[in-house]
Amino acid sequence: MSSPVSLIREPLITGNKTYHQITEDLISPTEKTPPRSWIFGFMVAVFFLAVFVFCVGWTIYHGIGTWNLNRTIGWGWDITNFVWWVGIGHAGTLISAILLIFRQKWRTGVNRAAEAMTIFAVICAGQFPIIHMGRVWLAIFIFPYPNTRGPLWPNFNSPLMWDVFAISTYFTVSLLFWYTGLVPDFATVRDRAKGFRKKVYNYLSFGWTGSAKHWQRFESLSLVLAGLSTPLVLSVHTIVSFDFATSVIPGWHTTIFPPYFVAGAIFSGFAMVLTLMLVTRKLFKLEDYITIEHIESMNKVILLTGTIVGVAYLTELFIAWYSGYVYEQFAFFNRALGPYWWSYFGMMFCNVVSPQLFWKKSWRRNIWLTFFLSILINIGMWFERFVIIATTLARDYLPSSWSYYSPSWVEIGIFLGSLGLFFTCYLIFSRVAPVVAVAEVKAILKSSGNQYKGQSQHHDDHHEEVHHDHH
Amino acid sequence: MRKEVKNIWIGEQDLAHSEKFIEQSNQELSLIDTLADSETSSALGSNRRDFLKFLGFGLGAATIAAGCDIPVKKALPYVTKPDAIVPGIANYYASTFVHGGDCAAILVKTREGRPIKIESNDMAPSNYGKTSARAQASVISLYDTNRFATPLKKSGNGFTSITWADLDKEVKAKLASAQNIRLLTGSMPSPTAQKAISDFTSKYPSAKTVAIDAVSYSAVLDAHAANFGKRALPTYKFNEADVVVSFNADFLGTWISPEKFAADYIQKRVIKDVNAPKMSRHYQIESHMSLSGSNADNRILVKPSEQGAAIAYLFNQITAGGAPSLPLNERAKKALDKVATQLKNNGSKSIVLSASTNVAEQLMVNAINQALGNYGATILAGTNYYGKQGDDKQFDQLVAELNAGSVDVLIVYGANPVFTHSKGKELEAAIAKAKTKIALSIANDETTKLCDYVATIPHFLEAWGDVKISDECTSLIQPTISPLFDSRQGEMSLLTWSDVVTPSYYDYLKANWQATAFAAQSEFASFQAFWDNSLHNGLIKNSVSAGNPAYNNAAIDFSSITSPSKAELEISFFEPLGIGNGIHSTNPWLQEMPNPIDRTVWGNYLAVPVQFNGVSAFEGLNGVKDGDLVEVTIGDVKYTVPVIQQFGQMAGTVALALGYGRMEAGACGTNVGVNVNACVERPGGYPKYYSDKVAVSGKIGKEKEFSCVQYHHTYGVKDKDKATGQTINADEAATVFFDYFTGAKGFQGAITDRSIIYTSNVADLKENLKEVQEKRAHAQFLNSKQIYGGHDALYNTGHHWGMHIDLNACIGCGACAVACMSENNVPVVGKREVSRHHEMTWLRIDRYYYGSVENPNTVYQPMMCQHCDNAPCENVCPVNATNHSSEGLNQMTYNRCIGTRYCANNCPYKVRRFNWLDYTTADLFPANQIKKFGEETPYGADNLTRMVLNPDVTVRSRGVIEKCSFCVQRLQEGKLTAKNEGRTLRDADVKSACQTACPTGAITFGDMNGKDVLAGKLENPLNYIVLEEVNVRSSVNYTMKINNRDESLEA
Repeated sequence: MSSPVSLIREPLITGNKTYHQITEDLISPTEKTPPRSWIFGFMVAVFFLAVFVFCVGWTIYHGIGTWNLNRTIGWGWDITNFVWWVGIGHAGTLISAILLIFRQKWRTGVNRAAEAMTIFAVICAGQFPIIHMGRVWLAIFIFPYPNTRGPLWPNFNSPLMWDVFAISTYFTVSLLFWYTGLVPDFATVRDRAKGFRKKVYNYLSFGWTGSAKHWQRFESLSLVLAGLSTPLVLSVHTIVSFDFATSVIPGWHTTIFPPYFVAGAIFSGFAMVLTLMLVTRKLFKLEDYITIEHIESMNKVILLTGTIVGVAYLTELFIAWYSGYVYEQFAFFNRALGPYWWSYFGMMFCNVVSPQLFWKKSWRRNIWLTFFLSILINIGMWFERFVIIATTLARDYLPSSWSYYSPSWVEIGIFLGSLGLFFTCYLIFSRVAPVVAVAEVKAILKSSGNQYKGQSQHHDDHHEEVHHDHH
Repeated sequence: MRKEVKNIWIGEQDLAHSEKFIEQSNQELSLIDTLADSETSSALGSNRRDFLKFLGFGLGAATIAAGCDIPVKKALPYVTKPDAIVPGIANYYASTFVHGGDCAAILVKTREGRPIKIESNDMAPSNYGKTSARAQASVISLYDTNRFATPLKKSGNGFTSITWADLDKEVKAKLASAQNIRLLTGSMPSPTAQKAISDFTSKYPSAKTVAIDAVSYSAVLDAHAANFGKRALPTYKFNEADVVVSFNADFLGTWISPEKFAADYIQKRVIKDVNAPKMSRHYQIESHMSLSGSNADNRILVKPSEQGAAIAYLFNQITAGGAPSLPLNERAKKALDKVATQLKNNGSKSIVLSASTNVAEQLMVNAINQALGNYGATILAGTNYYGKQGDDKQFDQLVAELNAGSVDVLIVYGANPVFTHSKGKELEAAIAKAKTKIALSIANDETTKLCDYVATIPHFLEAWGDVKISDECTSLIQPTISPLFDSRQGEMSLLTWSDVVTPSYYDYLKANWQATAFAAQSEFASFQAFWDNSLHNGLIKNSVSAGNPAYNNAAIDFSSITSPSKAELEISFFEPLGIGNGIHSTNPWLQEMPNPIDRTVWGNYLAVPVQFNGVSAFEGLNGVKDGDLVEVTIGDVKYTVPVIQQFGQMAGTVALALGYGRMEAGACGTNVGVNVNACVERPGGYPKYYSDKVAVSGKIGKEKEFSCVQYHHTYGVKDKDKATGQTINADEAATVFFDYFTGAKGFQGAITDRSIIYTSNVADLKENLKEVQEKRAHAQFLNSKQIYGGHDALYNTGHHWGMHIDLNACIGCGACAVACMSENNVPVVGKREVSRHHEMTWLRIDRYYYGSVENPNTVYQPMMCQHCDNAPCENVCPVNATNHSSEGLNQMTYNRCIGTRYCANNCPYKVRRFNWLDYTTADLFPANQIKKFGEETPYGADNLTRMVLNPDVTVRSRGVIEKCSFCVQRLQEGKLTAKNEGRTLRDADVKSACQTACPTGAITFGDMNGKDVLAGKLENPLNYIVLEEVNVRSSVNYTMKINNRDESLEA
């Protein structure tokens, strides 16, 4: 974070913050009794988590027949939710890794929450491939482990097998990255804590003392993990897209899927980050750390990726027409005009049309519009996955087998429940760890704090300056 | 041999070059040879290879036993093993399927003493050994939980058990004091049963027999009685007919003996030489699409009330005439003119038949056949068929007698007129007036319920008996299992009550055969040899006299011909192919077998005519859509029924199936659909299976469980586009649900450009065939350019199993689908599950309409796992649960399946089936096995019904995928047999269940390398592969569907 910052750039930290104020602002939420709004939100989230547990239990106990999938449409909301959550899980790593490498300082305001979101989203995503199995108690079969059946190995040709590796690797690396960033912040929490809390945070911070050696190792590890994560941002959704791209079903079997899925994933990830940050920022009064500048930056990413996704949709249509292959042509015709036209329309409107509003600067900087569109994009991206999965399967090769699908209460319950799981995790996280990376924000204070802007064009921001403040 | 190597040594002995050591080390290597040595192995009783085999078998058996999630509950060994039973080996017994007037010579496959499968009996002459779906399904009715377990006596509203001795005592007392005894039976084609009845009537001279069929054949029987002096049906030889004209007779589906007719008919339908293609022409004159109509080349649409007028019109064209000219729609008249010309041109090579229940109309049909010279050529009036004998007039007399209170004892045997007869309600009241009512029944039904005594009878698979199917063939019924319940044959009850002394009905039957059939033959000298041979074959062939009886020119009462109604709407009532007129309602396989025409299950759906709106939608009568509920008013009765838009249903007519809405048919049949038998009027004593006093409301709701297994019915049906006036594929236009107000049109070619179905008129077969072959060549060219090499070399050696399905031979009867359920333990899932498209059928028959919207042609396509050699399902399974055998079989390993359903998604043919719920109670969680969604135990999951399971096929548990295995268990059995006989397996040894069930031989399973049975089939130029361009390399060949539609009829 030692690069010089142009004067033209807006400050990333406002309110003339000192290091101590930063600590106070960001650490204190972990120390106070939670506000009413948090308690209310947590109750709602836990309720939906309970719905999730109940519906999953119901599914496992009674069978997948409690869902409305059928002989034609073998995947519906389950895999739609899986891909949707995995997609959401992309923003965190992108912000942590790729923006770190590109030295985008604005990432420091949002990276912690985004990474946390990634982890929780991947946890939510990971539920679906497991619970969608007809015999979940034999889920262990998907792991390549030595066994007495021959040994019998999983089928390494299967994209579902690749998913197992892709998702688990992604989860592991994201978790490590997130936790690594948390270590110095946990130490800050510890330093302010007393008694049992101090002990717990001491454990969590691995006895961090803030010595130069610690900082040096911390920096190296961050860089190594950033290096590891960067290809993962691209690979995970690429592999998820292989679930469809390697099939023979018209509408799935397309080479455009990997880049299209990755763009869509970043798109939906940023939308979810915005949804969360706009609320977090308000509730935790973090307006000085997550500024309009941050929001605008993210809106730019959304505009870019949304447009890429739009181009991908149009390319698909063009290629379907150009292929001269009736199955492909009909698959896309059916998506747009068939019985599920409303989901295609929803997808196009939410994902392609709505982000175009962000061409206008004042709209990019409008919080309410941003919040509204971020929700819209999340809905649109869910529709995209639904369109790809259910609409395609509903009318494939043999007209005799065409069918229609709408979810049962169990499927709806599992989806809403997965939101409950996500928000329960997120709300707990917001109470036990600083939602903004304290150490990293401090690191950019001298270059991007409002009171320092214009003071010196070539000042150095030294890590040594980041102290753990004592009262 | 051990070589000496310097500087390398093992131990000091080696270093010392000890002789003994060297010898020992050599011996160690030769130990393997020693074990394989025959001398040693004979001393041991087995050799090393055997040991490995035993080990492998043991391991395999243990894996199967341990791996399946099925708790084994009871296993008892035989104390003394019966001679005929070898565990694991099936025994086949020849017998006869006879139920409700359907008869067929069959083989019964039993395993460990349990009948589990019905097969056709190829020894039967004239295709009387072909099986229908009903025959295939009859085995599960043996294990019906609804069956009576003991003889019963009325007690209050129900029955209580009674001993046979008490029952006989009480019944005999009643009979002895009776002045007037009536015996009400179904058609009784059994000579020995007739003898028993005559013994009964000689003991009780007041006894009279009345026979009734569930669907009336009285008029056609009476007409033949008038023309030929004998009240019996003739033999129709469809294999001799070049022109078939059927007035509403569904001879391929339900009329008289459909599976025999189908087998005969198809001989004139299959294209033998594509360069000089020839096939018969079939006209069907009807309003509702029947199975025969769907197979016809031309359907001539007439309203149900116009049937008589249409027959009269043809009668006037063919014969000297004299029938009055009745109003008939102009199109039908024009068409019938051409039909008449065709008939005249074909002379005695035609058949005209009618299902009319009007004697005058049947007499006209006979006169037409006589005028054409068909008698003696295509219709043998002297060779009778005895399956249908019911007499409606006698029945009316019986009802009158009952009403008068003059019947003392009524014995009901094999009939359920309270349900099947339109006077059921009246009969219900009338029966109460008889002093004593005795039912000879297997299970409760609407008539039995009213009786005082039930002399419980066994299922035909537990009984002895005989059936004179036709003059050509008399068939034996032999038991294949000891009676499951305390039952006694109906004939034996009659004999007991008549004081005829016989140790058993078996002895009575044998004695009768000795006196009649044995006496009439000269081949066998001893009766025992004759009997053993007859029992082994299951039948005897009778010699038939070649001559045709003289045709009496009976006077036709032209005034009684039905005059066409002026009503705007008419409804026809038809017998559904599966459950008949309620007589198979208790059979879950038949309830779940989709009706071949509308593809619905578990209920009757009102077939309404459908129109294309010229833009993007099909509209049913009054704007109703598939699955909407409407109120139908027939006479004064209102019914709420779901509708199905029926292509080919004549405008101004609707149709509803009989046989549904039974109220006493066990768990499976009770309250399924609505009963419209009461709507059948009886002018002149004959039932009229239509009504013109009908009104259909608009949509009043939505059927909650709309159970139709096929939502898209068509393959490019043509109609006019409203905007342009051009003829377009209306169904492709109708794929648009929302056009965003752009006026976007449907995508023309979206369905018809697919390589699923190819059709052609026989007249332009050459051009169409060329087109198909070019398309195939292009697909094959593209496939050859792919980077994936495949494993063709592997599959080109050894066996490579494949199938050939001749769509020209397939009539869509569904026998194969039921046979598949029976063979492969496919669970029945019930109405709710089917409505959610959770049906489990491994083999389905896709039905597509093509041609015009108003009057389309039909193609049936049996669809099952195609066993692709480049199978898309295999590579996506994460756990290798589905994979390919070296013989080209796509295999499912249920134990390994974790149920991701990825394979099912990736199957282009959508033939994979997932066990959504615990349909078989094979689940891990016993608590989960009952009361799921309000259901009791799933159908077929109780201990009695489970006796029908094929022990060679795993019962699948919840959460796994299953699909057609090409009957791999039969392949394994064939291999074992071949091995025991010390030869290689010939593919003719193995026939798949669908193949043996098919009455028309449309399905041929065999080895694509060995080409024993597939020889000639695979080279058929009409062949194509469904979705060939997807390059999944399917192993199933279909043939192009050829019709002989008379295009001039439309002009």
